[in-house]
Amino acid sequence: MLNDEFKGSATRRATLKTIAAVASMGPVSLFAQQEPIKIGSVLSLTGPGAGLGQPERSGILLAEKNINDRGGVGGRPIKILIEDDGSKPDLAKSKAENLIFGEKVLAFIGPSLTASTGAIASITNAEKMAQVTFTGLGPVIEQSYKMLYHVLPPQILNARAMLEYASKSAKAKKVGVLHDTGYGQAVLAGLQTLNASYGIEFVSIERFEVGASDVSAQAAKVRASQPDLIFVIATSPVPFRNARQMKITQQIVSAIGSASYDYVRGMGEFADDIVFPEFMVGENPLPRQVEFVELYRKANNALPKNFEAAGWDAANIVAKAISKAGANASREAIAIAMRDPYEGAMAKYNFAAADMTGIELPSFIFSRLVQGKFTRLTFTAS
Amino acid sequence: MASGTLLLQSVLTGLTNGFVYALIGLGISVVFRGTKIINAMQGEFALVAGLVAYLALRTFEVPLVLSFLLGIVAGGLVGWFMEAFFISPARLRGATDDTFLLVTLGVAFAISAAVLYFFGRDNIPMPGLGGNGSLDIFDAAIRIHSVWLIVISISVVTLLMLFYHRTHLGLSMMAVSIDADGASMTGISVPRMRLLTFLLGGAVGGLAGVLVAPLITVHYEMGLLLTLKGFAAAILGGLLNPSGAVIGGVVLGLIESIAVVTISSGYKDVISMTTLIIIMILMPNGILGRGGRRGG
Repeated sequence: MLNDEFKGSATRRATLKTIAAVASMGPVSLFAQQEPIKIGSVLSLTGPGAGLGQPERSGILLAEKNINDRGGVGGRPIKILIEDDGSKPDLAKSKAENLIFGEKVLAFIGPSLTASTGAIASITNAEKMAQVTFTGLGPVIEQSYKMLYHVLPPQILNARAMLEYASKSAKAKKVGVLHDTGYGQAVLAGLQTLNASYGIEFVSIERFEVGASDVSAQAAKVRASQPDLIFVIATSPVPFRNARQMKITQQIVSAIGSASYDYVRGMGEFADDIVFPEFMVGENPLPRQVEFVELYRKANNALPKNFEAAGWDAANIVAKAISKAGANASREAIAIAMRDPYEGAMAKYNFAAADMTGIELPSFIFSRLVQGKFTRLTFTAS
Repeated sequence: MASGTLLLQSVLTGLTNGFVYALIGLGISVVFRGTKIINAMQGEFALVAGLVAYLALRTFEVPLVLSFLLGIVAGGLVGWFMEAFFISPARLRGATDDTFLLVTLGVAFAISAAVLYFFGRDNIPMPGLGGNGSLDIFDAAIRIHSVWLIVISISVVTLLMLFYHRTHLGLSMMAVSIDADGASMTGISVPRMRLLTFLLGGAVGGLAGVLVAPLITVHYEMGLLLTLKGFAAAILGGLLNPSGAVIGGVVLGLIESIAVVTISSGYKDVISMTTLIIIMILMPNGILGRGGRRGG
């Protein structure tokens, strides 16, 4: 009997201790005990696309932390499961399959590259789930994927932004082009479609392989054509260095893909008088960008650029849609909820638009490198 | 810029790039001449040297020339380490030519991955000899650093030729390469000569690295890119002949550069590689022919 009383007393004490412990843990721990809402993401964290995937991941992780710090979505934390595709479409597809069918994620973020986007979109389309990708509108087939949303502009829009600056601000008539065979080739296709409408003639177009370590000969040829302005479009600092080493003194206009601190460091002392149509100048952010820039700076002791902002926006767009549709909603309902206009840190989006991004020309900000520092220009495209 | 000036510019650019290829080809040739091993990590010597020079310059703030010397020493040490801890143990276990190729290729990828891990993807700029100054020649431009690169390359290949032909050590290294057993019978330490060969090859690769870094920046992928061009240069000049590698590199650089200016930048590699194939069909022993293949 005594033993039973002792046991009962011990049980009560244990129960009270448990209640006290749970109470002392507070609402945060209860929140943490909730089943997290899983969102899948495949990015190029290694390989040639790592320059995109790494900053995208930084933005996503910051958004995830910020959303959870503010109480999650519908009282539940979100968990963004990020996988690396090594910049390979086949690996991207298999990683996505694991997330979609294995982890049963509600929506998808990524990938970083166009080829991988297509590979994954064939699955997300079949599963009727949202995929927010870090590429502009790519091959024609992408237009048939109605739940594939782009947080970066199509290359034709990048081209238009470059031409806007060249014709309206720099008043250039003759432009030389130095571009690589990957990203540069894609933007060039847009430039060649639009240049006549801006009254701009391309007096020389010189190309080089992606990863080329020296393009001095091409730069010399561009210089020889005596352009008013030079377009340099590449995912490398090498052509910028070589252009200046070849005594090209004209202003250089580049594209968003080159607007990164990594490339500026690689340009060294030649990072001067280069203009970028882009979306994020962390040194002088727009009002809608201030919160993100400050949070990013505190978390990383560095300023963000476009791809970090794209990662932040993608995660917030998905979280907002889940919040609107409900955490228990179907993948399709969440995808449909994403079609409302959204003002992000990087740009204003409208995924219901024909190019499945809705980014418009006025969203572009123009920055100019002055002795290695990005400075926001007052020029705006219309 | 007139077409004559543009052609001159392409020659100056071609010479600069050509001597970059030549320095890597020179290192490949030195190692092959001494050990009969095709060293697929020659460009990684350059990568390591460039990084060491950068760290010495930026972290320890040593003078530029001293940072270059430290880079060269680092390249030599990596070469020594390679022979002592990878090549020699493999040789003792009966490794064949393809094994050595695989070992050096594997180490090349490992070094590249390590640089990516520890230093990231950044292109790391280095100042050059003479800063960013350049010389104007009829409106064409060449960086002062490029002039130094060409002068140093020519000096090094001359010194190497003298080393191989006029010094006891150089002759011993060649003897080991030609007949290791015979050399051993005459009292030459074969392991030591092989070690010195890799040390020398590493130092030449290191020299290439510190001289190339101000032109193309230091980047984790630069090693493999340089090795490929260096191979083309070395084979074009005759793999056994260091001076042939230099000639091969310069020819390759000039073909590439002139192709860009006279035909189209889009066909640069097609033209240069087609030309190389034609040269190798017509002159299978390299530009210097059979005599050059025996050694310069």
